[in-house]
Amino acid sequence: MAMALKLIPHLIAWFGIVLIMLRGFSGRRSAVLLAGIFGFVIGVAGTLILYRSYPGSITFGVVKSTLGISFILLWGSSVFAIYRSTGRGKDTLRGERLISASSTACAVSCLASIVAGAVCACKLSSFATGGAIATVSLLLMLVSCCALAYAALAFEKRLPEPFRVSPAGMLAIVTALLLFSASSILRLDLFSPLSMKVMKGVHDFVHQFMESVLFPDHLFVRSYIWKSIGLLFSKEVGFWGGLIIWFTPAVLIVTAIAIQRLPSVAHIRQGAERRLQSAAAIRERRHRLVIPVLSVVFFAAAAYQSSFPSVEYWDPKPLPVTANQAGEIIIPKKGDIDLEDGKLHKYLFKQGEREARFFVLLSPTGELTVDLDACAICKPDGYGQAEGSVICYYCKTLIPLETVGKPGGCNPVPIAFSVKSESVVIDGTTLINSWGATVQATTRVKEGGK
Amino acid sequence: MKRLFRTLFAAVSSRGVLPVVIGLFLLIYIGIAFFTDETLITLIALTRRSFFLAALLALIPLSCLLRIIRETTILLKIRRVLRGKPVEAIPELFDEAVTLHASPFLPELEECLITAGYKTRRSDNVLAAWRGVSAFPVRLLFLIALFCLFTGIFITTTSRTSNRRMVIEGEPMPTPDGVGGIVERITLANSTGSVLVKTLAMEVGPSNSGDGRRTFGLYPPSLYGGSFVYPRYLGLSIYLKFFAPDMPTGYETRRSLNCYPPGKEDNVAIPDSPYRIAFTIPVPEPGSERYISYITGKILLQFKVLKGKEVLFTGSAANGGEFVRDGYRLTLPEIRRLVVTDYIGDYGVLFIWAAGLVFVVAGCIWLPIRFCFPRREMLFTFDPDHTRACSRTEGRARIHAGVFHGALDLVDSRSNEHFQAPDRQ
Amino acid sequence: MSSIIIETSGLTRNYGDICALKPLDLVVPEGEWLTVMGHSGSGKSTFMNLVGGLDRPSAGSLRVGGKDLLAFTEDGLARFRREFVGIIFQQHHLVPYLTAVENVMLAQYFHSVPDEAEARSALERVGLGHRLKNRPGELSGGEQQRVCIARAIINSPKLLLGDEPTGNLDHKSTVMVMELLKELRAEEKFTVIMVTHNQEVAGWGDRTIYLDDGMLVREERKVEA
Repeated sequence: MAMALKLIPHLIAWFGIVLIMLRGFSGRRSAVLLAGIFGFVIGVAGTLILYRSYPGSITFGVVKSTLGISFILLWGSSVFAIYRSTGRGKDTLRGERLISASSTACAVSCLASIVAGAVCACKLSSFATGGAIATVSLLLMLVSCCALAYAALAFEKRLPEPFRVSPAGMLAIVTALLLFSASSILRLDLFSPLSMKVMKGVHDFVHQFMESVLFPDHLFVRSYIWKSIGLLFSKEVGFWGGLIIWFTPAVLIVTAIAIQRLPSVAHIRQGAERRLQSAAAIRERRHRLVIPVLSVVFFAAAAYQSSFPSVEYWDPKPLPVTANQAGEIIIPKKGDIDLEDGKLHKYLFKQGEREARFFVLLSPTGELTVDLDACAICKPDGYGQAEGSVICYYCKTLIPLETVGKPGGCNPVPIAFSVKSESVVIDGTTLINSWGATVQATTRVKEGGK
Repeated sequence: MKRLFRTLFAAVSSRGVLPVVIGLFLLIYIGIAFFTDETLITLIALTRRSFFLAALLALIPLSCLLRIIRETTILLKIRRVLRGKPVEAIPELFDEAVTLHASPFLPELEECLITAGYKTRRSDNVLAAWRGVSAFPVRLLFLIALFCLFTGIFITTTSRTSNRRMVIEGEPMPTPDGVGGIVERITLANSTGSVLVKTLAMEVGPSNSGDGRRTFGLYPPSLYGGSFVYPRYLGLSIYLKFFAPDMPTGYETRRSLNCYPPGKEDNVAIPDSPYRIAFTIPVPEPGSERYISYITGKILLQFKVLKGKEVLFTGSAANGGEFVRDGYRLTLPEIRRLVVTDYIGDYGVLFIWAAGLVFVVAGCIWLPIRFCFPRREMLFTFDPDHTRACSRTEGRARIHAGVFHGALDLVDSRSNEHFQAPDRQ
Repeated sequence: MSSIIIETSGLTRNYGDICALKPLDLVVPEGEWLTVMGHSGSGKSTFMNLVGGLDRPSAGSLRVGGKDLLAFTEDGLARFRREFVGIIFQQHHLVPYLTAVENVMLAQYFHSVPDEAEARSALERVGLGHRLKNRPGELSGGEQQRVCIARAIINSPKLLLGDEPTGNLDHKSTVMVMELLKELRAEEKFTVIMVTHNQEVAGWGDRTIYLDDGMLVREERKVEA
């Protein structure tokens, strides 16, 4: 039952995708339906095979990249739509025959369904790890998918005839539904990594811009100006910038449809008839707005799910540890706590007035790793563990467990350690100095000084 | 050939060039982001090294120029048409074009349009009507601003040079190519301006190459020897002499210290020895001027002499001071003010500044025109066998369309009377 | 021979036990000005409401403009009323806080989209070009009724219904309104059905039918001079 509940967002997304495809290609319903179901099955099967054959990071990476590509395509499509709407040229869509062709309908339906199936399979693989439960869950999901597809067909026939979908609107809602579906899976979520990249991008851009226009150093500039510029170096700029990038394509498509020129009625000589034609065109335009506006809602839902995930992180309270006379911290591998249970184990070490937080973790490769509970980039808000990765609480970046212990990016800073007599041994002074250097560096980065 | 040229011209002057090129660069940016955190710097370096990317970037200002030509041509055609001169492909210049039955010219049509607030011009068989202010000059400004912006970005990306030099009081002013006049004084002072809290002035005497006396400030930065003089950080140039029991001959050197703001530590490592001297400027009392030492020139340096990791002793010395203890001697015969300065060879900066100014001006002009006085135009051509009517608008389209359609109804009704009159007779 | 715009066969309307309109067979050619007369409760307004799609008959058939009104859904009837019928009431029913041009644009709004230039043109046609910005309270009875006429014809109806349109007007205004309707009918070619008590007003029509107790009792055709 709990498994079924977890799949609900994905099945809702699947239902929505099929419904939109059926309405968007209303002359090719059977082909679209069959292509959709076929695509979904392929997506599920392909993902599960990939998951069983390669490390999870590769499978999730492939699916995430596909979602990223669809978002980029949506951006391109939205810019094209707004340029078309604001141009003075005749509003003809070249390639309209191609868009309405049967092969295009099947191809689009199949592709969208493959991605939807892949996302569902990723969700399934995260909680149905093997055996009979996994097989039953898979079969139930496939049966549900077919049932929902036919339900979508029945529902689509009841929708009012004037309710139309434009190609841009279709792309917007399908992408929104896929991202909504993916956002409930930590390792497929795009919004949080996007925010992080936007934050970094804005930092870089502002820095480069200041350099380009030869802006004086902060020592010479009034503090209120520097504080205003400093806002662009805060974490919130990543969130708000990410939101802007997240919503802009759908908003551009809504705007493109809303400002589209109405067909000319100058050739009609009777005023009432002219107005009737204009009213019909306005009504048709409003109907075409429904889907892009709905896509904005789903984008918002995806962003909300990403910002407030319903995932519980494993984040134990750091246990205090002390160093012996040689200045070494010794933690037994087995004892009250089993360091090799695959879970994050956090500790707090104090030396005089200085302290350092670190954790010990057994990675999926079977090697123990000791790392600071902080990275070289972000504020030391620490890490949590969930779904095969650790997450940086500051920037919400997911680091696959396989890469924990390797330096770079937002990975926790690794600390040298040794294993002696079934215990992990760490030099206390090295730990403290490493923490001090890391926190000092990230504080400087946070302040945004040149 | 002509056709190829026209196709190329149409392609490069298209509105789509800007988003396509920016889109391509964004895709490259996204690709680079997977490999490095220094994404923007890498992209800039890549563009600088790659002819293809540089050419792609250059396409934007080229496109802006060609768009200026294209839109000016279109505007001139429209002006010709409204003056009644013959022009090819008239319907393409307008938003709506309709052909009606033949009708003689109507004085009441002109009256009707004048009543609706339009200005009219009549010539032979053509009646033109218009109202509002054309946004074309603003579009021109906007395209010029775009041209300046992307030209500036192109120049900055492909040819910017940066040389960091130490400008030391009393020393010749360094330039990328050599040296200039003597830096007579470096003055840091408080400012009452709304943007800058401090001003910095570097007064340089005449140089051997014939440059007169110059003073270099903060903003806007001055040009010197073809480069912008861009003061970055404050520091000190010290001449020190250090003697240790195991270094009887001592060590002397001139060093630059990056030790501002006060409290920041900079080190001088004594070569071939375990000694290191860490210098700081003492932090003034809270509430007092932080850079008082630099402003007044009365500098007291605090130092720590270390041997390996061990701190041998600490102390402080002013300009010309000496410190002696336990066989160690540290002398600071000279402490001078220094400004870490970048010499930026980048004319793209001028274009970027110009672009910013032009964008602001264009925006201020566009807003009232677009929302209060948008341009609306109509053209009626009365030919023997038909009447052609065209309409064009830059805003308030619904209201303008109402007037246009009403005018067409009037023309049509009169032409119907004209054709029915023989029946009545 | 002109086509038929209204054709009724056995048209009946009952309100409970009361038979407001007894089976009526009537044919109205396109472009005709038909006057309906009768005392109060004779079924005049009932007949006009049925023909204008404002009410549904209890029995019989009713075809207007070639369409069977009984086959229309509520939405269909609403669309029919918007696009085919214009109505002028005795009580005007102008919106008091809107100007004359805005009242006409309101009719356009419910029909399709408002067009101020067309609304102005319509008011100029009825001789109110100088009163566009005045509210109904600032207009005389005759002027208000002319605004109603402009409002009724702005959407180019094929059928214009008038329910005692001159009931509240003096003689001079009545003549002015009737003259205006006659001119507009010649220009726009719509059919007029007018309900009135006034014999003088009835004289403007091409044909007059008399209803009594829901039944057609007499019919008179206007003799061309």
